[in-house]
Amino acid sequence: MKILVVAERNDGKLRRVSAEVATKAKSFGDTEVIEVTGTDRYHPIAHANAVAAHAKSSGADVVMTGATLNGRDLAARVAAKLGWAYAADCTDASAKDGAFEVKRPMYAGKVRATLRMPTPAVLSIRPGAWTLPSGAGEIAPTAVAADAGAEKLKFARFEPTETSSKRVSLSEARVIVSGGRGLKGPENWKMLEELADALGAATGASRAVTDAGWRPNEEQVGQTGKTVTPDLYIALGISGAIQHLAGMTSSKVIVAVNKDPDADIFKIADYGVVGDLFEFLPAFTEAVKKTKAGA
Amino acid sequence: MKFLVCLKQVPDSTVRVKVAADGKSVSTDGITWSISPYDEYAIELALEHKDGDASTTVSVVTVGPARSRDALRQALAMGCDDATLVTADDKIGGLDVAKALAAVVKEAKPDVVLCGKQASDDDQGLVGPALAETLGWPHVGMLTKIAAAGDGIELWREIEGGHEVWSTPLPVVGLVHKSAKEPRYPSLPGIMKAKKKEIPEKDLAGLGVTPGAPRAEVVAMEPPPQRGGGKILKADGDVKALAVELARLLHEEAKVL
Repeated sequence: MKILVVAERNDGKLRRVSAEVATKAKSFGDTEVIEVTGTDRYHPIAHANAVAAHAKSSGADVVMTGATLNGRDLAARVAAKLGWAYAADCTDASAKDGAFEVKRPMYAGKVRATLRMPTPAVLSIRPGAWTLPSGAGEIAPTAVAADAGAEKLKFARFEPTETSSKRVSLSEARVIVSGGRGLKGPENWKMLEELADALGAATGASRAVTDAGWRPNEEQVGQTGKTVTPDLYIALGISGAIQHLAGMTSSKVIVAVNKDPDADIFKIADYGVVGDLFEFLPAFTEAVKKTKAGA
Repeated sequence: MKFLVCLKQVPDSTVRVKVAADGKSVSTDGITWSISPYDEYAIELALEHKDGDASTTVSVVTVGPARSRDALRQALAMGCDDATLVTADDKIGGLDVAKALAAVVKEAKPDVVLCGKQASDDDQGLVGPALAETLGWPHVGMLTKIAAAGDGIELWREIEGGHEVWSTPLPVVGLVHKSAKEPRYPSLPGIMKAKKKEIPEKDLAGLGVTPGAPRAEVVAMEPPPQRGGGKILKADGDVKALAVELARLLHEEAKVL
């Protein structure tokens, strides 16, 4: 089996998911790692053309990308261009009788599916699905030139989100601190951010919060937002609507703080604190700082 | 401007999804069906454009079983102008759906095709980019805004930390992530008008599509592992001690701190 991994950079640095996929791919067979160069950012046609052409000329059986925003977009267009089978956002994959068996969430995380993928195939792999073993070697992708002449879109400008935080990206974060309506207003996010900073965490939000404009849309966790699988998910003042739970229920450890003991979030939490968020949160942030300092 | 919105009918997002007895599909007993949430945003984006420009038309199309007619009817009631049903088995693969949609697009000749960025049942996000690729059109994902700019349009793509703004020639495919406003509810006159509208039906053979493109095949489905039995701590006494205890549990027991 010949695997072609398409790596991706963020601010010049290789994304962790690219290293995760490239390292794991070696266990399936002969692995080549490439990155598309020659454009200032991701361009769908220019990148898909380059990857598809390279997949064909190199005789790849499987193309793998990280299931990031750009990685998913690219993988889908490449699959269509090649006419190959496609599975998005896989949480695992294994070679089986000349085909691939993959696991992936469906129905916004309410179901876990096992799929049989005929090869050749294109797969996008969820960040964090394959943890990078310690001591894994550096990944040095081969540059493949984008088919820039074929692109029809023109990048005009970047419009930053005003309230956007400069923290780790939500989809790749190992720790996420999320806030809901229980925080009562955007002015109280400072408290949540102090905890996030102490933990080195990304910040998330429930849909009620992003709909109310307290936080930017990109922070929304749940069915019409992001699906996340961090090691630690801390839900503050989130009651746990089914659409929110679908987006975070696969987190390794879930902590919930809520004043309502009957909140649905407690049904899936590993650790629940029933009480006043505004009293508990500053004390917990202090305790986290002390624990981290001592660790 | 001529819009064509591609939608899919899926189990409503409030439905508790259950795995069927065959262990590889979802039980459809007593399920409420709805337009997939991202497709609703796509309809809303197109209708917002129509609100500002009376010459804009918004058509909708779906590839799916006969029950999908209800979803099209809902879109008409929201204010879309016309609807087309392409009948197909609900197990049809994404690449085949894209081929069928491409045939519809070639007849309808829209300026902008919108799809939700993914359907909330299979969550693949394949059909939109595959449709663009089949047509040889550009596509922009994570779309949240369509703005007029000179002769063309600008498409806003949400990424980490903000939006990329792309200027694009027409025609183009947009994969919608969100609309500025929540999708509108059908009005009563809208519902009455929608009831009277004909929804023409096409089939795959008529569009020159023979399904059979390579695809993923579901071999098993299971509910996510049950969680629960977590430790519940009550903050009615010493809040500080409780905070220290939780930090200790996360550090020593869960080992995530």
